[in-house]
Amino acid sequence: MRILFFTICALLIFSTVRAQDKFTLNGYVRDASSGEELIGVTILIEETGSGVNTNPYGFYSLTLPAGEYSIQFRYIGFKTKIEKVSLTKDLSLNIELVEEVTELSEVVVTAERQDVNVTSIQMSKSVVDIGQLKKLPSLFGEPDIIKSIQMMPGVISAGEGTSAFFVRGGSADQNLILIDEAPVYDPSHLFGLFSVFNADVIKDSELYKGGIPSRFGGRLSSILEVRTKDGNNKEFKGEAGIGLLASSVMLEGPIKKDESSFIISARRSYVDLFLRLANEKNLVYFYDVNAKINWRANNKNRFFIALYSGRDNFNFDGNFGFDWGNNTATFRWNHLFNDKLFSNTSLIASSFDYGLGSQDESNGFQWDSNLKEFSFKQDLNYFFNPQLTMDFGYHVTYRKFAPGIITPSAESIFREVELQNEFALDHALYASLQHQLSDKLSFEYGARLSIFQNVGANTVYTYLDQLDNTNPIRIDSTQYGSFENIKTYVNLEPRFSARYILNTESSLKASYNRMIQNTHLISSGTVPVPFNTWAPSSTYLKPQVADQLALGYFRNFKDNSYEFSAEAFYKDISNVTDFADNASIFFNDDLSTEFRQGTSEAYGLELMLQKKKGLLTGFVAYTLSRVDRTVPGVNQGRSFLANYDRRHNLNIVGTYDYSDKWTFGGSFTYGTGRPLTLPSGSYEFGDGQIADIITERNGFQLPDFHRVDLSATLVPRRNKGKKYETSWIFSLYNVYSRKNPFSIYTRVALDDDDNVIGDGTEKEARLIYLFPILPSVTYNINF
Amino acid sequence: MEKHSKYIRTLLFIFAAVIFTACEETIIIETGDLDERVVIEGLVTNQENHYVKITRTRSFYSTGPAEAIENALVRVSDDIGNTYQFVHNPNGNLTENGFYYPVNSFQGQVGAIYALDVQVDGEQYTAQEELLPVTTIDSLTVIINREELEDPDEEGRFFNVLFYASEPQGRKDQYLFKFYRDGEIVRDFPTDIYFTDDALLGERIDDLEIAGFYAEGDLVTVEMYSLTQEAYVFYSDLFNLLNNDGGLFSPPPANPRTNLSNGAIGYFQVSSIDSEDKLIVDPG
Repeated sequence: MRILFFTICALLIFSTVRAQDKFTLNGYVRDASSGEELIGVTILIEETGSGVNTNPYGFYSLTLPAGEYSIQFRYIGFKTKIEKVSLTKDLSLNIELVEEVTELSEVVVTAERQDVNVTSIQMSKSVVDIGQLKKLPSLFGEPDIIKSIQMMPGVISAGEGTSAFFVRGGSADQNLILIDEAPVYDPSHLFGLFSVFNADVIKDSELYKGGIPSRFGGRLSSILEVRTKDGNNKEFKGEAGIGLLASSVMLEGPIKKDESSFIISARRSYVDLFLRLANEKNLVYFYDVNAKINWRANNKNRFFIALYSGRDNFNFDGNFGFDWGNNTATFRWNHLFNDKLFSNTSLIASSFDYGLGSQDESNGFQWDSNLKEFSFKQDLNYFFNPQLTMDFGYHVTYRKFAPGIITPSAESIFREVELQNEFALDHALYASLQHQLSDKLSFEYGARLSIFQNVGANTVYTYLDQLDNTNPIRIDSTQYGSFENIKTYVNLEPRFSARYILNTESSLKASYNRMIQNTHLISSGTVPVPFNTWAPSSTYLKPQVADQLALGYFRNFKDNSYEFSAEAFYKDISNVTDFADNASIFFNDDLSTEFRQGTSEAYGLELMLQKKKGLLTGFVAYTLSRVDRTVPGVNQGRSFLANYDRRHNLNIVGTYDYSDKWTFGGSFTYGTGRPLTLPSGSYEFGDGQIADIITERNGFQLPDFHRVDLSATLVPRRNKGKKYETSWIFSLYNVYSRKNPFSIYTRVALDDDDNVIGDGTEKEARLIYLFPILPSVTYNINF
Repeated sequence: MEKHSKYIRTLLFIFAAVIFTACEETIIIETGDLDERVVIEGLVTNQENHYVKITRTRSFYSTGPAEAIENALVRVSDDIGNTYQFVHNPNGNLTENGFYYPVNSFQGQVGAIYALDVQVDGEQYTAQEELLPVTTIDSLTVIINREELEDPDEEGRFFNVLFYASEPQGRKDQYLFKFYRDGEIVRDFPTDIYFTDDALLGERIDDLEIAGFYAEGDLVTVEMYSLTQEAYVFYSDLFNLLNNDGGLFSPPPANPRTNLSNGAIGYFQVSSIDSEDKLIVDPG
């Protein structure tokens, strides 16, 4: 830690000594048509061959000796702009880039070279192309960021129709999902059929699988950073989409032209409205609302407020209901201290809650649970010079975990019960340097210091046997007052990335990162359900620690129209949170006796080939991976394949711009089956019930799955200069209607009418599969 | 208007069925090598209806009654110095193969700790359990279930039985319930087990509907057993195992925790029983 501090000081001094005759050029790069800041724009100084990227707020800063420069601004999907600058004093230069529209009647030759794949230090990162996402086939015609993420190399899904994703051998709770910097605890609607992200409002969506920058922390395996649009500050625009299951509407526009703008969108499913009309008692719906306001006060100050609220609601028979939802709010202030120092200050609130209840007279109850967090983040970017940038900052988060209150209804047999709440204060200090040593070699190095406090008010019990989960016996208890420190964990997370350019077309990259996770999901299934609770690290739950090493080779072909990457990773996790067999994870006052933290080892190879230009674009992604867990007391202490292990995974995705009106999209996905725990025999117990004998955890495998989806987009009046544009998206999911295995369970053999066969001693295994061929239509209007 | 709503309802039902109901089919699984184990189901009560049933595990696709073990040595002793020998199927009934009964009848005592000792093929299996008290059933009442009356699954079976008892709040209790119609076990679903602990229960259990629909003339029996914490955990694990979904949203299936030693499967249960009978008569 001291070494890092001294190195930073030395570099600061070093750079100020050399600062004579140097001036700073800085500013924002924006989309000319909407005013949205562009993230990650490549800025290249032709004379020196070096450059920077715009930061997540579209800001850049270049400190150069006085002189004449040609500066290139490049961003995929936009025309490259070259600015000639005469740098004789500090200069503020804001740039607007114009979208590149492919004219099909001419052959377009672009001079730009989009080689970010090769030149950027960042490896193991996947960017979701929203434009392409909307042209691809999707389940029920709803383009979904998470489904798109599940197609990327190194990312595995649990099966169709679920929103959980598993990155490089990490479980579903090891991903940090952020919307405008606010964490989302359950990104699913309708149990995973849809995700909470409305593609209409998403500006940028990036998944970091490895080489994770120091400004991120809190989860072991990935960071999914989703940013919503800021709102067109030049003119009013809107979009409406009517789909088979849900509809959405979006409005954006300036509040004061070029200075402030807003964007608001809402999405709702409406199957329930039809059900209500038909007097059907079962009810299911979800809704999402996204809203954002931003205000550019002056050249040095910018303010944003972003809000998200979403909820799912189920009700069966007018009696049993459950609902869950996320609410987030972010307030952000961007400030330029000087030409080189950019600051982002954020205040973030996020809450996730769910409720479960029955209105039955004698069994009536309502169970509510929630998790709330409040964060303050101070992030700074210091642009020393085009070869050296520093990111550093401080984050602090307060979390309150309220696992549950059961409130009985008036005549109920139940009484009121409340589980203990838990509280945490999570601090992080980070610093990281992006350092271009030479033309070929660049590094990013830094660290994040995590200081995690589990605080009161709370009571901590000591048990006679901490591992006895059958009959836990408390022998002592200690009471803690509000905010009194119960347990503190301090961990240093070093982060290191290197990129070596072999030639203009290829590079080698390597990275090492250590990630710490102090927020644990209490779930023992493969796919989390909305009623799983989260718990902070505590006296009995240690922070999970992941070390990941990744190596990659990146190569572009044919003038960057093809991008190839090969990445190998190795990830070792200690204290991975798992549970004893038969763990009782709901309403357990002695939950700590069920914790069994073990180790996880994962490794794999990811290959990807992308075609980024031309009428036909798309990618092929193949992942070969394996992940094993060893958990004390589970599977007799022997290691077993993790629930989400998938040996081979192949995804092929493509879109074809056939004509002015028609675009076609298609995807093929193949995966080997996930592991399964199946019986090796059976026995009879208690009045004729036949139970399975389990001798091995995950000793079997589900059969392989594969599927083809197709879509066609029709834009009847593209670019005809009218006030609005409509489009139809026709989607066909699971074109050859394959019965893709979802799960296998066992039961007493039943006939087709669900009657027990014979004397009830025969057992059978049943394969569950979800979706046969499913067509859908969506109608969109853009105005 | 009614026709219109029925049409929408049918359409939506088909639609909903496609989306929200998973499709299933039976498949054959390769279950690997079975390691044969001894299955022991023991019961000692505060009355005189004790038994120990000893069978073997079998391959997943076997059918018919379980293979009984008829040559085991079985005895139960208590912590006040008594030992009771059990003998296999003393009456030679075909339906009681594998069942062991006490040679001399005895009544279990509340508060005593009973130990089971079983020897099979040179292996010894033991377990220990305390006999805990159980509260009494206050009463059972009969009501007509209006919905079932309109469209009964079985002719004439549209009565429900309601259960009333007080739940002692000062002590920690666990319960197992069994329901019988004319002496035969009744379950709403074949994989149901009716058990609870008292963590969430208030001081009265009233109007609790027992499993099953009954017809006039049926003799309904409700049995309430006391369970130790370990026995409660066993039934909870067994219930989860019988109702497992394959480990996608719920934990992967695992063997229930047991109080039997040496790798035996099953449980040695020691309980107080309170039971109540009710003849179904239309309440009018």
